[in-house]
Amino acid sequence: MPIPRILVPILVALALVAGLGLRTGFTRPTLTKTFADKPGVKATFTVSGVRCRGTAMLFASLYEDVPGVHGIEAYASERKAVFTFDPGVISRERIRAIMEAPIPFQDGTSNQMFECLSVE
Amino acid sequence: MLLVVLGLVVHSALGYGSRSFEAYCPFGGVESLWGLFTAGEFTCALAPLNLSLLVALLCLVLLCKKAFCGWACPIGLLGELAARLGGRVWKQRPRVPLKVNAWLKLLRYVVLVAALFFTCRSGELVLRGYDPYYLIFSGFGHGSAGIVSMLVLTVIALGALVVPMLFCRYLCPLGAVFDPFSRLGMIRVWRDESKCTACGRCGQTCLHDIPVQKLRTVRHRDCTNCLECVDACEERGVLQLRAGL
Repeated sequence: MPIPRILVPILVALALVAGLGLRTGFTRPTLTKTFADKPGVKATFTVSGVRCRGTAMLFASLYEDVPGVHGIEAYASERKAVFTFDPGVISRERIRAIMEAPIPFQDGTSNQMFECLSVE
Repeated sequence: MLLVVLGLVVHSALGYGSRSFEAYCPFGGVESLWGLFTAGEFTCALAPLNLSLLVALLCLVLLCKKAFCGWACPIGLLGELAARLGGRVWKQRPRVPLKVNAWLKLLRYVVLVAALFFTCRSGELVLRGYDPYYLIFSGFGHGSAGIVSMLVLTVIALGALVVPMLFCRYLCPLGAVFDPFSRLGMIRVWRDESKCTACGRCGQTCLHDIPVQKLRTVRHRDCTNCLECVDACEERGVLQLRAGL
């Protein structure tokens, strides 16, 4: 039996909607860095500049020796970073200031690589 | 629908929305598999959306062949526009000899293997510098290979004026992933041999050079169910869309 041709674009649209819907509930970070295996408070920063694994590694490296930051999960595609930190040692404002500070390069120049767009 | 997909991609490529435009590429789902299995993390800028789109589209291919390529892929749209433009330039479009065409199609498997190998090895999306989707929507952004990228895009664009759907036919790695599933696609074009006059108009219209006039049912792996052949047929009811195994 012939099928109406409109079915083809409808199936494509349904597949795309299903694809967009399926991702809900499944999430994996681009990079996970644990600096200290301690419990802490979580805060999500939306950061422009974290766009791939390379930039996520650079971003995480900014906090390697920062007291109070226990770990970072970076999600490049969603431009966000989830921090686990001790609020008694470091504040959200300080975390933000570190990411927005200019980063020095080997050629002597420096540049602001990351900008915090929001904090939750 | 193409305009909606295109709008979504351009919207995110311009920096709006909550995710990168690269998240809308189903081939990213294939590239992310190795990183997910080995480290539990997504490679480079890839995301769950890449994977979920891939899964949904593989189901679509099993149902409706490569309909995504013909109805929603932005690069498919550009290829089609170039083919139409080329059609105005050429009075009689030059055809790639069938054997050469078949051999050249193997190139997409080479691209697929190379893309996966180097992506797994480096953890970077190595195809970025040569991928028309990335180059166009990122505006030759981070990861493009400068003059080489421009050269690649120019060759693909000019080539598409001569050989319709050049990128899709010979270079698209997602097409290579879809190939084995596409042959199984249940909804496809069927030809009524008793009514067919074998004028060949359907085959001439096909942008993938599928010889529709010689087939009883179009199982061909390249068929995108664009239905151009059905539109081109002047005999009523000869070419019809049907479901079957």
